[in-house]
Amino acid sequence: MVEMVTAYVAWHDLLRYLIFYPPVYQFIIIPGLIAALVVAIFIIWFERKAAARVQMRYGPYEISPRTGGATQLIADLIRYSFQEIIVPRTVDASIYFAAPVAAVILSLMPLDAIPLTSNPAFWPIPMDYSLLIAVALSTLSPIFVMMMAWASNNKFSLIGGVRESFIVTAYELVAVLSLLSVAAATSTYNLVDIVSAQSGGLWFGLLDPVAFLTAFIATLMTTSGFPFEIPDSESEIVAGPYTEYSGLMYGLDMGAAYIKRWVFAVLMALVFLGGWAPYTPGPGILLGYLVPSLIVSVKALVIMAIMSFMRAVYGRYRIDQALGVAWEILIPLALAAFGIGLAEAYFHVYAYMGVMAIAG
Amino acid sequence: MAEASGTVALPGMDVRRLERNLYEVYIGPAHPGSGHMRIVVRVEGDVMVEVDPDIGFVHRTMEKLSEGRDWMKNIPLLERMAILDACNVTLPYVEAVEKLLDVDPPERAKYLRTLLCEINRVASHLYGFGIFGVFLGHSTLYMWAFGDREIFVELADRLTGARLTHSYPMFGGVRRDMPDDFGQNVRRAAAYMRRRLDEYADIFLRNPNIRSRLAGVGVISGARAVEMGLSGPNVRASGVRYDARLAEPYEAYDRVDFEVPVYEEGDSLARAWQRVDEIRQSLSIMEQAVDWLERHPREGFIHEKFWKTAPPIYKQVYAGAVPYAGKYRVKMIPLYASLRVPAGRSFARVESGRGEIIYYVESDGKDTPYRVRVVSGSFRNVIAFKYAMPGHRLADLPAIYGSFDYFPPEWDR
Amino acid sequence: MTSAVSLVDRVKGILGPGEGARVEQQKGYLEVTVDAGSLRDAAARLKAAGFDHVKSVTAVDYPAKNQIKVIYHASSMLDEELSKYVVGLATLVDRDDPVVPSLVGVWLSAEFQEREVYEHFGVRFDGHPDLRPLLLTPGLAAQRPLRKDFKVVEEDDYLKSTFEEYTSTRRWV
Repeated sequence: MVEMVTAYVAWHDLLRYLIFYPPVYQFIIIPGLIAALVVAIFIIWFERKAAARVQMRYGPYEISPRTGGATQLIADLIRYSFQEIIVPRTVDASIYFAAPVAAVILSLMPLDAIPLTSNPAFWPIPMDYSLLIAVALSTLSPIFVMMMAWASNNKFSLIGGVRESFIVTAYELVAVLSLLSVAAATSTYNLVDIVSAQSGGLWFGLLDPVAFLTAFIATLMTTSGFPFEIPDSESEIVAGPYTEYSGLMYGLDMGAAYIKRWVFAVLMALVFLGGWAPYTPGPGILLGYLVPSLIVSVKALVIMAIMSFMRAVYGRYRIDQALGVAWEILIPLALAAFGIGLAEAYFHVYAYMGVMAIAG
Repeated sequence: MAEASGTVALPGMDVRRLERNLYEVYIGPAHPGSGHMRIVVRVEGDVMVEVDPDIGFVHRTMEKLSEGRDWMKNIPLLERMAILDACNVTLPYVEAVEKLLDVDPPERAKYLRTLLCEINRVASHLYGFGIFGVFLGHSTLYMWAFGDREIFVELADRLTGARLTHSYPMFGGVRRDMPDDFGQNVRRAAAYMRRRLDEYADIFLRNPNIRSRLAGVGVISGARAVEMGLSGPNVRASGVRYDARLAEPYEAYDRVDFEVPVYEEGDSLARAWQRVDEIRQSLSIMEQAVDWLERHPREGFIHEKFWKTAPPIYKQVYAGAVPYAGKYRVKMIPLYASLRVPAGRSFARVESGRGEIIYYVESDGKDTPYRVRVVSGSFRNVIAFKYAMPGHRLADLPAIYGSFDYFPPEWDR
Repeated sequence: MTSAVSLVDRVKGILGPGEGARVEQQKGYLEVTVDAGSLRDAAARLKAAGFDHVKSVTAVDYPAKNQIKVIYHASSMLDEELSKYVVGLATLVDRDDPVVPSLVGVWLSAEFQEREVYEHFGVRFDGHPDLRPLLLTPGLAAQRPLRKDFKVVEEDDYLKSTFEEYTSTRRWV
């Protein structure tokens, strides 16, 4: 009997303090590395299938007709893993290898600031400014793309890196402003409070659709989504900063783009789509952590699917047109969204619904 | 080698001093957006200053090879110049030699040639659209255009027996007559394509994203286009009403009713719309040709001079008295193999999908040509790279390139 | 053909008398032969009359007469009546050192095609702004491929190579 207790305690401790330990869980499992990879695989498959449906063809089909080609991406992943990594002699080797790895790690870093449940035992880093910190951490990764471009010692990579630096100046202000307009409306930076303010069914995406729209477009810009696939535009500069990469390094680069898109989608799901809203997390690992994180993941997946569908409809913009769109249209819209958030705070919109989001 | 300050020359690197701070980018042959050619672009920042097309990667020396082959064997050789447009490319050669031979093909042959020319023109324009979509990142247009082009390649397959390598026009006529149900297939294809053209316009030409990439890009005025000697839809989109089918009507073009669309703006968007309108006109010409062919009796698809030397089995097969497949092999009419063309010089021009193809043929009475000179529409359009592109941004290069509908095998021959 | 006869007269009228030009027409093809010195003048007159572009610049090699004939086929796009005709403006040059004045100043459309004639036949165009090979590599262009004394040699199917000399640099051989 003593052994059963100790086995149970051992398993419980393993789960509770190692796997479900919030910083580890969030960085590696959901919504971290493993979930990001699974989502990337699913989204790429969905992208190919949805685009194929528009384009009068089947998409991935041959490899497993009964599941609609779902295992095609696994096959691609295996192929990338075994492909030879060709390193040109003229690249700056240390940065060439370090930059993609750093880009992936930094893309995942905001996840450590995002709480996925209202149960305080499962917050990664309990803090009152989680929204602000998450947004700030999300702006760190573009520098590594530029380092990749510079280390590659290739004219096309250089042009791609310069375009990446230009487009960072385009989208960054828009993303930050639109994601922070919810803080203006609910008077708090704490993501847990923001989600519980939306638990009455009053999602912020409905109250301030302008902010949702500009955040969506900014996410497209930051992760080379059509129509803003500018730093790595295939017909002009081969693959932009990723030209000299092959094999698993190239998979890592493409993965970094999708991972960043996933992180932004999780953030947008929490801020605009209510997070785990209709569900109040109970105590315990299962009800308190796993279920809310899955709900948030599903909402983020919907956002990513919409972004993937854009591929079938749009061409790509020129860099100066993208900058024009960002500075002439999106920044005024983002300022307007912030203003709407302030107006909602003034009229105590959230207070009238009886869900005033002040802690205490 | 001038040693600039602070440069490090790695082994095998060639260092030279530049006069002007221009960045040289080689959009080279192994590039997703370049086709089989190299474009040497010198940019200053993002703006292109000099563009130098470096062509010749697909040069197959057709002019030299044609001097060593019989007259008939040059038709499959010259067809490979622009295989998508096979009838349009070999037709002026056949016409030029027919002028030397003093042979005028019968009416039915002229209508059949016209029909195949228009089928090829539609297929070629759709190919151009597909490549244009790829250059702008719009993969949907690429898939749609190539999927719809399949219908016209299938039509050509039913008419001539081969999807792309038709070798259909021959001296004195065409290789074979059309099948019985061809008329209804052509009408179905034309109706389907007209519906699809509206969808193309909605998703691509009226798409605000694509319109902002194309409007005002690569503007070539009418006078400049004529001065550079451009040809085909490119010059018609700059306001110049010139079409070889109007200037010197050949085959059945003076008896079918069609319009030649002309756009005034001269930018990439006008060139794209020009091709859409030309596809519509081609569909109407196809329907008229097939109407005529169905109404008139099936006789004389090749000139009497050649037909009378055919063995009787050929005449029985073509009259339907003997089944076509099986042990009765109908091959080429024997007179072609030993054809000697009288001495002389002649010139012929035909409007193909990408421009005007001209042939200058010189014969000295032997069984191989003395000189065959071919200039295709794309070859005359290469000069636009050098003069129309500077001043635009680097990202405009695919927009202009795709709108000109280049086909590197056609200009390299 | 009345229109063709009037074309011959018309071209003769354009080129002016006493030019030393021979205008001949056979089987619907009109060719004007001038000597190299008056080539630019004849071209300028044709351009002033409305022939505004060149469709082709070609050369034909006559080794028996030791001459190369360079022909410019000019036509009109803007003038509707002249666009029906194509006029070949030809000149004969010596085969050993062919030099022809370049017509790029008159017809810009001749620029790239003159480069092609230069590389294939070795004909130098005096006054061309950028005379270098267009399609061929410099080594092949030096052999002047389209001349009649360049014989096309058939190549063998079997590639002869010694396997021992092939060194591999892959690490996992």
